[in-house]
Amino acid sequence: MLTVILQQGINGIVVGSLYVLVAVGLTLIYGVLVQINFAHADIVTVGAFVAYFITHWLSGNYFAGIAAAFIVGAAFGWLMNAAIFVPLRNRSNELLPLIATIGVSIMLQNAMLILLGPIPYSFDTPYSNQVIRLGGTFFTVQNALIVLVSAITIAVLYAFMKFTFLGKALRAVSQDRETAGLMGINPNHVIMLTFVIASALAGMGGAMLGPVLVLTPFAGTSVIVKAFAIVIIGGFGNVEGTIVAGLIVGLIESYTTQFLDPGLIDIVVFALLLLTLAVRPTGLIAERREENV
Amino acid sequence: MAAVITIGLLPAIFTDSYWRSNLIICAVNVLLAIGLDFVLGYAGQLNLGQSAFYGIGAYASTLLITQLGVPFWIAFVIGVFLAGAAGVFLSMFAVRLRGHYLAIASLGFAVITYQVLLNWISVTQGPLGIYGIAPPPPLAIRGLPSIEFTNLASLFYLIAGFAFLTYLVLDQLLHSPVGETLTAIREDEVSATSLGVNCQKWKVFAFAVSSAVAGAGGCFYASFVGTLVPDAFFITESFSILAMVIVGGMGTLIGPVLGAILLTVLPELLRGIGDLRLIVYGVSVTLVVLFMPGGIVQAARLIAEDLRQRLRPDTTP
Repeated sequence: MLTVILQQGINGIVVGSLYVLVAVGLTLIYGVLVQINFAHADIVTVGAFVAYFITHWLSGNYFAGIAAAFIVGAAFGWLMNAAIFVPLRNRSNELLPLIATIGVSIMLQNAMLILLGPIPYSFDTPYSNQVIRLGGTFFTVQNALIVLVSAITIAVLYAFMKFTFLGKALRAVSQDRETAGLMGINPNHVIMLTFVIASALAGMGGAMLGPVLVLTPFAGTSVIVKAFAIVIIGGFGNVEGTIVAGLIVGLIESYTTQFLDPGLIDIVVFALLLLTLAVRPTGLIAERREENV
Repeated sequence: MAAVITIGLLPAIFTDSYWRSNLIICAVNVLLAIGLDFVLGYAGQLNLGQSAFYGIGAYASTLLITQLGVPFWIAFVIGVFLAGAAGVFLSMFAVRLRGHYLAIASLGFAVITYQVLLNWISVTQGPLGIYGIAPPPPLAIRGLPSIEFTNLASLFYLIAGFAFLTYLVLDQLLHSPVGETLTAIREDEVSATSLGVNCQKWKVFAFAVSSAVAGAGGCFYASFVGTLVPDAFFITESFSILAMVIVGGMGTLIGPVLGAILLTVLPELLRGIGDLRLIVYGVSVTLVVLFMPGGIVQAARLIAEDLRQRLRPDTTP
C-alpha cells in the first residue's frame, strides 16, 4: 500500500512539474499584462511536435529537440505579442485579446490537424524505456529528466526574476506598469520579453510532455484547461503559488487515477477550481500575500 | 416581416435533404448565438460555458423522453428550465468574478459537464451515446390537418419559428429599460451600482435567459439528429458559438443571427477543399477582433455609409 502511494506520488510530481512549466508562463503574462493567452496551450503542442521531429531527424538527440522546442516557442511568443496583444492594447474592451487568442488557438489546432493528421504520434525518446528501481517504486529516466529539467528551469527563472535587472524590471512592471515606466523601464519591452520567456517555457514543456502524453494536435487543450485551474488555484500572477498548485494538481491527478477513476480527474480538479473561486477568488495560496499588501 | 417570408421560402429554395439539414443546424445555431450574445454582448460577461447549457438541455429532455416516457413538450420545458437553472448556478460565480476569472470558471463548468456526460455511463451511456431519439410529436390543432415533424421542412419551420420568436422576445426585452440596465453593467459596473442598479440580480437574470435559450437549442438539436454523444458538447462547441457572435457583431441582436448563418453555411461550402472547415472559425474570429470588432454589422454599416456618401453627388465640390 505504501509503495502504491509512493509510486503515485512520484507520478504526480512528474506530471505536476510539467504543469508548472506550462502554467508559470500564463502567470507571468497575467502578471505584466492582466491578460490571458489562450493559445499558450497550442504553443505547448507545437513544442511537442517540434521536439518529436527534431529528435527523430537527429536520430534520437532528445536534448536538441528540447532546445528546438524552446526556440520555436519563444518565436511564437514574440509573434503572439506583436500580432495580437500590441494592436489590441489600446482598445477599451479587456475581453477582446482573450477572444482573439481563442481564435488563434482554433487556427493553430486545425492547421496542425491538416498538416499532421488526427492519429496520435508515439514519441519515444532514448530515455523512455530505461527504468530506475528504487525501494519498490520505479520510474523511467524520462520521468527523472522531466522533473530535473523542470526544477532547474524554474530555479533559473526564479534567480532571473530575483537577481537580474530584467527580472526586476519584469516584477516592477507587474506591480505597477506606470510607475515602472517612470523609472525608465520600457513596459513594452518587458511585456515582449515576458511573452518570449513564457512561450519558450511552454514550448519546452511541450517537448517534455510529448513522450508522456497522447500526442495529437489537440493535446494542448487538455493541458491548458488544467493550467488555467492551476493558475487560479495558485493565485493569478503569483509564481510561487503556481508552482505549489501545479504539484498539487499533479498529485490529485495521480491519486484520483489510483483510488477513484481516471474519468474523474477533470471533475475533481475543476471542482477544486470552482471551490477556490467561490471561497477565495485571489487563489488559495495567495492568501497570506493579500494580507501583506 | 421580411424574416417571416425568408423563413417561409427557404425550404422551398433548398429542396434537397442535405441543405435542409443545414438549414435546421443554422436555426439551432442562431438560438445558441443569440443566447450567448444576450449575456456577452449586452451584459458583458464572457461565458465560455454555453456548450454545457446546450448539452444539459439536450440530455435532460432526451433522457426524460426515452427513460421516463415524458411527452416531448413537457420534456422540452423541463430541459429548458434545467439549463436555465444551471445558468443561475454559474452566475453565482459571475456575481463575484470579473472578466477573465469568469471566462475560466465558465470554461471549468463546461469541462465538468462534458466529463459528467462522458463518465456517468449508467445514465448517459457515455461515449456510446443515445440513439434513435424520436422527432417532436405531430402538432394537431382541432380543425386543421396535423403537422408531422418527420420531414425536414416542417421541423425547420418549427425550430426557425421558435428561434424567430425568441429573437422577437429578446429584442423587445433589450429595447425596454432591461436592455439599458444590462448595457450599463457592461460599460461600468461601479457607475451602474451607484445609479441604483442591482448588478448581481441582473447578471443572474442574463445568465438564466442565455442558458435557457441554449437549452432550448439543445432540445431541438437532439430531436433533429436523433443521436446524442458527449463530444457534440465539448468545450470547442462553446468556442464555435463565441465565433458566431463575434463574427456577426456582439452587442447587436441581428449580428449573431448573421454570424451563425455565415459560420454554418461557409464551412459547408468549403467542405470540398478539405479539412478547412474549422480553421475558418479561427481565422475569422482573429481577423474580426483585430480589424472589425463590430463584426458583420459594423462592416455593413460602414458600407452603407460609404454608399450614401457616393450617392450624394452635391457633397463633392
